[in-house]
Amino acid sequence: MTDISYLLLVMLVMTVATYATRLAPFMLFSRGQERPLINFIAKNTPPMVMTILVIYMLKGVNYSSFEGVYTFIALLVTVVFHLYRRNALLSIIAGTAVYMVAVQM
Amino acid sequence: MIRSVIKTTLPILFGFLPLGIAFGILFQELGYPWYFATLMGICVYAGAAQFMAVGMLGAGVGLFEIAISTFFLNSRHLFYGLALLNSFGAWGLRKFYLIFGLTDETYALMTTITVPKEFNRERYYFLITLFSQSYWVLGCSIGALASSSLDFNTEGMDFAATALFTVLLIEQWLKVRKPLPFVVAFGSSCITLILFFQHMLLAAIVLSITTIIVLRFIKSKKND
Repeated sequence: MTDISYLLLVMLVMTVATYATRLAPFMLFSRGQERPLINFIAKNTPPMVMTILVIYMLKGVNYSSFEGVYTFIALLVTVVFHLYRRNALLSIIAGTAVYMVAVQM
Repeated sequence: MIRSVIKTTLPILFGFLPLGIAFGILFQELGYPWYFATLMGICVYAGAAQFMAVGMLGAGVGLFEIAISTFFLNSRHLFYGLALLNSFGAWGLRKFYLIFGLTDETYALMTTITVPKEFNRERYYFLITLFSQSYWVLGCSIGALASSSLDFNTEGMDFAATALFTVLLIEQWLKVRKPLPFVVAFGSSCITLILFFQHMLLAAIVLSITTIIVLRFIKSKKND
């Protein structure tokens, strides 16, 4: 097996495996059907997943270094901007700009 | 519509571009031609899995192991689909692409934003997905092509993903206005962080969904 064919096979296998995880729920449950439990899960996953994703993003930060301080400040800027102006793009750009300037100083 | 979609997906651009570039640079070290990084961004299109693949390709890991690892690494998508069952419209090529392009970022956007009234929702979602993947493919290609000659310092740009999820979390709070799912998710995150630091993402999603179902069951028993 040459190197390129190994790479192509890996890509094929990964494409199928990734697509399977994304496609499965749509195959298992048809839309519009009354399924109280599925509807309950569907309604509650977005707020839960968003909470978990934020914590997930913050778990890799080294809190005993300046990185922790910068992250805290950038997060604060993002939240404050968003609560005052409620413009998602503005809040994200402001927070990211503050963070980039801080870590590159 | 395109202008509105670009504005909505701009945070994803800030997140995907530097991450894609990082992947491209890493991929380039394996010694394959640069366009294979592009190809991987087009057909695999999964951030964490692609980074994992670089390590596995380098080590020459077997296909079966790669398939299983990829499946488990991405298995959180199993739950993402549930929240979007009714939003992707009728079966067709577009729906297959919407499902193919489901990532943490597009899922977060689609379940939180309200599509402007003047636009067709499925077309709007389609463009969100298409643009997001283009940013990713662009990043992978730039990284692999220009790994040695990149001037712009993107360090810290990846904070955009954290900021995006934070903003969407606030939006979810303004929409849901019930503390329970947030509290359950926070608790689950803390527990799974202690138990499985590396794999907390999937573990926390499974634990929080299980918890909230159990809570609902207990509540309905009480009402009987």
